[in-house]
Amino acid sequence: MSVQDLILNLHTFWAGQGCYLAQTYDLEVGAGTMTPDTFFRVLDKRPWKVGYVQPSRRPDDGRFGDNPHRVQKHFQYQVIMKPSPSDIQDIYVRSLRSLGVVLEDHDLRFDEDNWESPTIGAWGVGWQVLLDGLEITQFTYFQQCGGIDLAPVPVEITYGLERLEMFLEQKDDIYDLDWSADVSYRDLRFREEKEFSEYNFNAANVAGLRQAFNACQKEAARMVEKDLLLPAYDMCLKCSHNFNLLDSRGAISVTERVKMIAQIRALVNDIARKYTAPKEGL
Amino acid sequence: MEFLLELLTEELPASHIRSAREQLEAGFRQELGAARLAVDGLRTLATPRRLVVVADIASGQEDKDQVVTGPPLSVAKGPDGTLTAAAKGFARAQGVDESRLEAVRTARGEYIGFRRTAKGAATADLLGTIVPRVLGALSFPKMMRWADSPFRFSRPIHGLLCVFGGSVVETSFEGLKAGDTTLGHRIVSPREVKAADFAGYTSGLEANGVIVDDAGRKAMILSQIDGHLSPLKADLLPDQDLLDDLTLNVEHPLVVFGSFPEAYLSLPLEVLSTAMREGQKLFSVVREKKQLPHFLGVADAADDAKGLIRAGHERVLRARLADARFFWDRDRKVPMARRAAGLKDVVFQEKLGSYDDKVQRLKKLVAYVCDKIEAPKIRKDAVEAAGLCKADLLAEMVKEFSGLQGRMGGLYAKQEGYPAAVSQAVYEHYLPQSLDDPSPSSPAGAVLSLADKLDSIVGVMGVGIQASGSSDPFGLRRNAQGVCKVILDRKFRFSFGRLVDKVLSVYGDRLSVGREEAKKACLDFFEGRIRFILEKRGFRYDLVGAALGPGIDRMYDVLLRVQALDALKSSPLFEPFILMARRVNNILRGLPPGKVNPDLFVEKEERELYSTFSIVRTNAQSMLARGDYARAQSIMFKLQPALNNFFDKVMVMDEDKKVRQNRLGLLQSVQKMLAGIADYSQVVVEGDKPGRARA
Repeated sequence: MSVQDLILNLHTFWAGQGCYLAQTYDLEVGAGTMTPDTFFRVLDKRPWKVGYVQPSRRPDDGRFGDNPHRVQKHFQYQVIMKPSPSDIQDIYVRSLRSLGVVLEDHDLRFDEDNWESPTIGAWGVGWQVLLDGLEITQFTYFQQCGGIDLAPVPVEITYGLERLEMFLEQKDDIYDLDWSADVSYRDLRFREEKEFSEYNFNAANVAGLRQAFNACQKEAARMVEKDLLLPAYDMCLKCSHNFNLLDSRGAISVTERVKMIAQIRALVNDIARKYTAPKEGL
Repeated sequence: MEFLLELLTEELPASHIRSAREQLEAGFRQELGAARLAVDGLRTLATPRRLVVVADIASGQEDKDQVVTGPPLSVAKGPDGTLTAAAKGFARAQGVDESRLEAVRTARGEYIGFRRTAKGAATADLLGTIVPRVLGALSFPKMMRWADSPFRFSRPIHGLLCVFGGSVVETSFEGLKAGDTTLGHRIVSPREVKAADFAGYTSGLEANGVIVDDAGRKAMILSQIDGHLSPLKADLLPDQDLLDDLTLNVEHPLVVFGSFPEAYLSLPLEVLSTAMREGQKLFSVVREKKQLPHFLGVADAADDAKGLIRAGHERVLRARLADARFFWDRDRKVPMARRAAGLKDVVFQEKLGSYDDKVQRLKKLVAYVCDKIEAPKIRKDAVEAAGLCKADLLAEMVKEFSGLQGRMGGLYAKQEGYPAAVSQAVYEHYLPQSLDDPSPSSPAGAVLSLADKLDSIVGVMGVGIQASGSSDPFGLRRNAQGVCKVILDRKFRFSFGRLVDKVLSVYGDRLSVGREEAKKACLDFFEGRIRFILEKRGFRYDLVGAALGPGIDRMYDVLLRVQALDALKSSPLFEPFILMARRVNNILRGLPPGKVNPDLFVEKEERELYSTFSIVRTNAQSMLARGDYARAQSIMFKLQPALNNFFDKVMVMDEDKKVRQNRLGLLQSVQKMLAGIADYSQVVVEGDKPGRARA
């Protein structure tokens, strides 16, 4: 099964569970959780079911194409079900079986792992799912997002597509994966990993990134004032990515890191608060 | 009759399982006791998805004789002894015949009343309310909500099996109605299992891939491990915590043996074993403390006939080891000293500055300690190690595996060619992490460990942060116990109070709490810790209290003193001596200090006491200086006959003020000498009522 088939299979499976299939968000994010299809939609009381592929950018994980499993951009398959169905673990297990995995021949574990993202004021309780010791999924009952207690509680299932694919193809090297019948992961991504690793670690303009961070932060605050919450949130995502690039350039001290994350979180929390505030006249 | 309870859940963390078992056992004991139900053989079992309680409980409460009282006798009976309307009304309201009414004597006087036997309630009925109450009281360090409910638990719950004497108990918990079925292993056999009793429950689950008894699972793991290792003549790198956790992580243990490329054996054992343990939870396989290119893992599966589990783990481990080698190679390109410069940007504690500030303090503190313990030879190495010891906080390897802090720095220092004493001190300066951990094996390591921990404690307390109850965010207790353990193991006899003064003065004006106040808080805190450690080592609490009497300034001497007390407690002289010491204390209670003048003695017995005392004191003092408290104490025991004679023959409270004060002065000198070993008033001797000694 190729990466492409894996995505098609997951789409079919989760559409069958009633999920709306969203399209990939068009900004750089560190995790599928950060896109508006998750961030805003978990905040309110309405039921919500969604599945989508989201590239995850983690500049610091770049390895110049030399490492067989670490890359500065990978793909996540993100599922949100709100409220969390009581048989969600069984549904998840069925999703693995639907990929042709004979679980009786393997070791499937739900291993304690509580996820958090300080940047967007979010945390949850759950597991990393291990298949023969390989982490293939982060499985989280979301408790808080944007500093807001979530009720009903959404469950978030995030498959690491390359990890899962390496398992399915029994391959040791990420670049040997088949994206489709005749396109390999190497064809698609190797040059990108090399060039972006160079950019992330050595070439990116630190002063420019700092300016961009500050400009986006200001713009986000200005948009929050105007109640333009979705644009404000986009600005926060840009802050976050600029921050990650500065970090991989080694330009951020430990003290500064805490401060900058807190700055983004404060804006995100403002957005969440305004988004969930009772509307006047309703 | 047999009681069986199973709460079926989603996968619980091992630490939550341990806590839940303790709470369940205590909760059921307490509730069953309160309900007057006899219980036998109460125990808990657990898997990652099941919390199980089994017990033998009486079928019902015993019947109970009761006395029901009504109005006072004076109101209930007329002058002629006949029942009044009030008494008749009482009988009617209670539904008893008037003939059963009788006079009842109570503490408040005589009342009219009657006796009856209250039928005991049936256990099955009582369990209906006890079970949800005990389950509802469970709490966890981190709790969660799910779906639409505000209810909080460790992880979502799915089923309640609850049977007593073969029948389902009528009860429910958070929407789960109790039944007599559960589910088998999630993957191996997710079928319904029916159970009317514990035997049927365990065998039914075993047939469906679940070993409920964790002791049984652990035995399976150990025997399978042995099966893999004995042909290789190899051992596990011991890791009890990992073994305990894995036992609680699986329902059906299967030990998997795997290998990795020998090229990775060039990495240090510390790195290899950590890379295996973190994430994949694998055990290192060693022979004579050298890593072999193998590992063992514990899977939750029936078998690995196709070898896919093994192959999967091997693939994941190869990738992790590739990463570890990447960190190892990259870290070694940066010299330790250059890395240490970056510590200016790493916050140690908001108000206490950076790790670089800490390092600068540590250099001064280790130099001070080396001077105090008269170890000039290690001074240079210890100071150099202090300068390097925190550098590895910025190493990639430590960012990835935080548990390697210190050890990584030591390994990198060794690679870089620092003297062995320096790299060793860096390597082991986080030791001991607990009372079961060894102290650093090298003198410089011990000094650095002591300085690092004390610097943290004094600093954190000096900005007003205290450990209280279960809250100890900076690990003050763990650190203080580490300090005590190093001092005791190393037999350091310098003044602890002056060391604290030194730490305070090195901090300068950074601290918000005043120096005297901070010092006192710190010493009080340490007294509590040393008491805890000595009691944990099995010394009687009253002897520990007595040994703490002369203070903790020479902390190692507290141990010597309690050992001396402990050694002598079975001697026939012990009890008379304690009583005598108390007699001295009692007579002097509340008196101002006085002076003794040999010219003012009147009686023979007081002269004799004084001359014996003078000899004993001279001899004892040299023993005390050497820390030989046992000898000092036996020498002091020799005072007993002279003191007895003194008390028998001499009137201490003489009418002549000068004579009286001289006698009191003599006794005060004796008291002062005794107090140098122990506060004997704290020692409990036979014949003392329990609780008389001050705790």
